[in-house]
Amino acid sequence: MSINRKKLGALLGVVAIGIAVASTAGAASQGSPGVTKNSITIGGTFPLSGPASLYATIAGAEQAYYGYVNAHGGVNGRKINDIVLDDQYNPSKTIVKVKQLVENDHVFAVVGGLGTAPGLATWNYLNNKGVPQVLLATGDAYWGTCTATGSAFTPKPYCSKPKPWTMGWQPDYPGEAKLYAKYILTNKKTPHIGILYQNDAYGQNYLDAFNKALGSHTGDVVDAEPYNFTDSSTVVSAHVQALAAHGANTVVIFATPAASIAALATITGIKAATHGAFSPLTLLNNVSANRVFLIAAQGAHANVNNVVSTTYIKSQSATPKDSAMILAKKIINATGNAGLQQQFAAGDNNLIYGLASAWTFVDALKHAGATPTRSSLMKALRNLNETGANRNPFVFPGMDVKTSSTRTFPMEQLQFEQWKGQTNACNPNTEVNCGDWRKLGVVLNSGS
Amino acid sequence: MRRRLPAVVSVPGVAGVLVVLPFILSSYHTFLAAEVGVFFVAVLGLNILTGYTGQISIGHGAFMAIGGYTTAVMSRDHHTNLILTILVAFAICFVVGLLFGLPALRLSGAYLALATFALAISVPQLPLQWSRYLGGSGGVQSPETKGNVWIYGAAWSVSAVLFLLAWLILRGRVGRAFRAVRDSEIAAVASGVEIGVYKTLAFGISAAYCGAAGALFVIASNGFAQPDQFNVALSLQLLIGAAVAGLGSLWGILAGAAFVGLLPNISPSVPIIGSEQGRDVVYGLLVVLVMLVLPGGLAGLPARLRSLRRGLNRKSKPVKLRGSSSQ
Repeated sequence: MSINRKKLGALLGVVAIGIAVASTAGAASQGSPGVTKNSITIGGTFPLSGPASLYATIAGAEQAYYGYVNAHGGVNGRKINDIVLDDQYNPSKTIVKVKQLVENDHVFAVVGGLGTAPGLATWNYLNNKGVPQVLLATGDAYWGTCTATGSAFTPKPYCSKPKPWTMGWQPDYPGEAKLYAKYILTNKKTPHIGILYQNDAYGQNYLDAFNKALGSHTGDVVDAEPYNFTDSSTVVSAHVQALAAHGANTVVIFATPAASIAALATITGIKAATHGAFSPLTLLNNVSANRVFLIAAQGAHANVNNVVSTTYIKSQSATPKDSAMILAKKIINATGNAGLQQQFAAGDNNLIYGLASAWTFVDALKHAGATPTRSSLMKALRNLNETGANRNPFVFPGMDVKTSSTRTFPMEQLQFEQWKGQTNACNPNTEVNCGDWRKLGVVLNSGS
Repeated sequence: MRRRLPAVVSVPGVAGVLVVLPFILSSYHTFLAAEVGVFFVAVLGLNILTGYTGQISIGHGAFMAIGGYTTAVMSRDHHTNLILTILVAFAICFVVGLLFGLPALRLSGAYLALATFALAISVPQLPLQWSRYLGGSGGVQSPETKGNVWIYGAAWSVSAVLFLLAWLILRGRVGRAFRAVRDSEIAAVASGVEIGVYKTLAFGISAAYCGAAGALFVIASNGFAQPDQFNVALSLQLLIGAAVAGLGSLWGILAGAAFVGLLPNISPSVPIIGSEQGRDVVYGLLVVLVMLVLPGGLAGLPARLRSLRRGLNRKSKPVKLRGSSSQ
């Protein structure tokens, strides 16, 4: 009797959880998975919670854009259904969620997945299965260097086999780092460079390319400080203090937002403490250069005036009259999502990023034939030509989104920009001039 | 554990269900069931330490990391058979666990927990330090990826073997000594039990189990090992699993493994626990609840209810719960 009840209790628990899991019902289909006569189901993993959840608005904007396209008839009569799952930027969660997308939700393609480690954790699986893993929201060099097949393929430590089903979207980090190196050598007479970088594949990618681009000037680097993604702002501050102690007059930040905000605040703090003796030229990688992050840094008492960065998408705050930005506002408002609307008003550039990336996906889908297959989608993505009349309206004016057999990164251009604004905390919802990025020079080629 | 299930009935029953499952479930659900198997091994191992010996560890994710990297690196560099790598992971973690157990035996309770916490934080940093061999944060990718049914078979076969091994270890003198250490260290010493030896041994065994679980975890992750997979949250999950399992009966451990293996994969459409945030709150509340109300874990719930009812009906003193101890 007692035994049975005990058994029953535990069993009920297992069954209850099992039922809840099973309620993620899958839809089987004929032909290409995820494609029916009137719908296409795609999916992606994003950090909707956890320390990287600042990026969650990218997924929101992508869904908003698909909603807009669906409201206008979809693509070839098919509505796009985008399943977004939360992986908390944790690769082991990404693996399970991507399996769910492919094997349970039967998605046509995994689109826009965010993060380097999550991407690396799943690209073997997706390539083995022949499922497109495209428009990854990360700029690491991985996503464009392992795509060649046949004899053109050269194995790398991180890819022993070709990855023809994987593709990025944004300009690659090494190309960006190269431009920063050039900028410093042209604009700073006797640079003493201090580097703060994230201690992982992402930060290393930047650092290696930066050092390489310095060439004979690598001696100008006085210190390179690694921090970990999970480090507290106190730890990040200590690293920045070390850069100052090494006599840096130029600080390069290859970080993610939380750390870059702490670093910018620390630079201002040291400047005040040393009465301006430490007043470095500061370069910030564009992942951390979203306007909302800079405003947050101002809120943390950082004076971010004259910080230099790069961009490749339009800004709804700097060019609100641009027709694409007016459309962007309309699309975000149509979601009725108050959180997204607020982020849009605050100048969260990740929303434009999401719209631009979704625009490219829809563009590829239009070129993938009347009844798209996974390989016809890849073929379209490998032959993107968003120039002329087919220009992506959300990317920075004058930039092309283009791919070919020799060009594996869709975007290979960057625009330098410099922050101009007030020097103290500012609420963008109530104050008009909280500061913003200003264009610096012309569009540059970041490709190799 | 005097009221253990009659093993003759329950063990073949569970084994029978597990054999049939992959034929019923879809490929994806077979994979989820395999994940439960992976956590079954880990929770079973941690349970030997927490449930039987009464030592708390919040760092056993570190042993999963060591086991996982063992599999990934051996497979990448030497194309070693994956099953063999599980054995090696088991052995390596047994030794590492014993070595860590040596200094740890001087600690107990909260102090040991803190020491193991350090383990959980520091071990995932090692691949970043030795990135040349351990791939840094880019991770280590084994060239071999296995299908869901293979993973399921491996996970539950290892579970079965290690369950049998645990039963053999715990039924005799060693198991008695473990429980003596848990119930009262002074009484154990007085009875001639060498506390240090048994605490270290328990630590080594539980580490070895988690090592094997880590190897399976990496195999289930398409052969990919990366530091972020083995973060502190994983160690805490294992502890939650062990807390749910309570004092290790087969059913308790199954419930604990299902809890940590399945809960993160519940459909987002389910209210509250469907989202990561809601789930974290539920995790926290459940652990507090389990610790406060059910020292015997979820598996102790029926006994607890029985004792409550008895107390209400007969107005007699509630029966003292088994396993309501651990310092």
